[in-house]
Amino acid sequence: MKQSFGHLMLFIKNTFLSIGLVTFLSSCASNSQQSLYDEIGGQAVLETLVDNFIMEIASDNRVLPRFLDSNVNRFREKMIEHMCLLADGPCIYTGDDMVQVHAGMNINSAEFNAIVEDLMSAMDKTGIALSSQNQILERMAPLRPQVIGI
Amino acid sequence: MNLAGLTSVCALTLLVMCPELVSAQEQPVNRDGKILGTGGVSSISGAGGGGLIPWATLSSYADEGQRGGSVFRTRVDVDAYQLDIDGGALAFGNRIEFSFARQNLLVKPANLHVRQNKTGIKVRVLGDIIFDKAPQITLGAERGSLRDKGLARAVGAQHTSGTDYTVSFAKAWLNGIGHRTTLVNVNVRYGNANQFGLLGYGGDDQDAKWTAEFAAAVFLTRQLVLGAEYRQKPDNLGALREENAHDLFLAYFPNKRVSLTAAWVDLGEIAGARNQQGVYLSAQLTF
Repeated sequence: MKQSFGHLMLFIKNTFLSIGLVTFLSSCASNSQQSLYDEIGGQAVLETLVDNFIMEIASDNRVLPRFLDSNVNRFREKMIEHMCLLADGPCIYTGDDMVQVHAGMNINSAEFNAIVEDLMSAMDKTGIALSSQNQILERMAPLRPQVIGI
Repeated sequence: MNLAGLTSVCALTLLVMCPELVSAQEQPVNRDGKILGTGGVSSISGAGGGGLIPWATLSSYADEGQRGGSVFRTRVDVDAYQLDIDGGALAFGNRIEFSFARQNLLVKPANLHVRQNKTGIKVRVLGDIIFDKAPQITLGAERGSLRDKGLARAVGAQHTSGTDYTVSFAKAWLNGIGHRTTLVNVNVRYGNANQFGLLGYGGDDQDAKWTAEFAAAVFLTRQLVLGAEYRQKPDNLGALREENAHDLFLAYFPNKRVSLTAAWVDLGEIAGARNQQGVYLSAQLTF
């Protein structure tokens, strides 16, 4: 009986500690000092995200033909740098600018949207929270004029 | 992730795709170009919306260079009335939409049916709802023609058919309220429809009027949308009061083929029956 009481007290103590920890973590999350890069989990998560993104593209007939001449390794490296930069992470983007990359391809709105959907699926599979996903998308959206119809 | 493995998977996929790629010169995307949910649902007039009001969105997932369409069935069940609607829409290139709906109103206390056909056209004149800073703007016309004209004549409507004209503005923010994708829609309508045209067009008070309509919606997830709408109604009939309508809705988009909408609606006073509140259910198939 005494032992059960001890367990109960331990349980209550742990519960309070967990609540405290959750409160602490959520106050961290709402801290405006924290970058989006940190919020999604830093470099490791970004790399997983881009790997998942490549897999989504590889199984998407709508856009795969556009990547026929792409070097997957280079795409992966530059994409990670680019997303890191967009998320205010500690990276330098060493790739070509978006206009250079897409010039002459005459990409249409539907193809652009297909890539957006592939990225959404990749973010889901990476376990990135919807609120962070939407911040990433919001930062990428202004690039659209540098991608489509050129 | 194993890079060598990744590369070989990509290479294999490319190899499998290759025969098609060599022969197919046209764009590989030929349907469903819009992002899930952005085709909206079907409004009571058949035009893409929205439920009680159309929105500046075009039905289906047809993007530039594509065609698409939708069919739907809706039931609005309030205290004294039940409105059943079947209809559909065709959209061409995210530019122009043609819509059609058959409305069947049951006046419960009198066991009386009032049927009306609606046809509509809507043209996107400017903007992209997600990717432009400016709103997406559409011009629309909705023509209604009563098949059962008796009730409209009895309540003093001037006409049994009429046309409403709408200008719609819609803007979505990917990272909106609570970091959720958020949409706002505003319509300006010019017309003389009494209770959506079911009580005819025009009256003794005044003929065509300008009215305003609003909608706001939040994507709780990529598939589930919570929102509200407000529709001002013209109140043209001298003998009967017409009040504004509003709703609170939840729309579910499991995929690009199906959408389901459930709403609570308040249509106000209709033909002397006050405070008409109830349920709105709609199912839509998209192709």
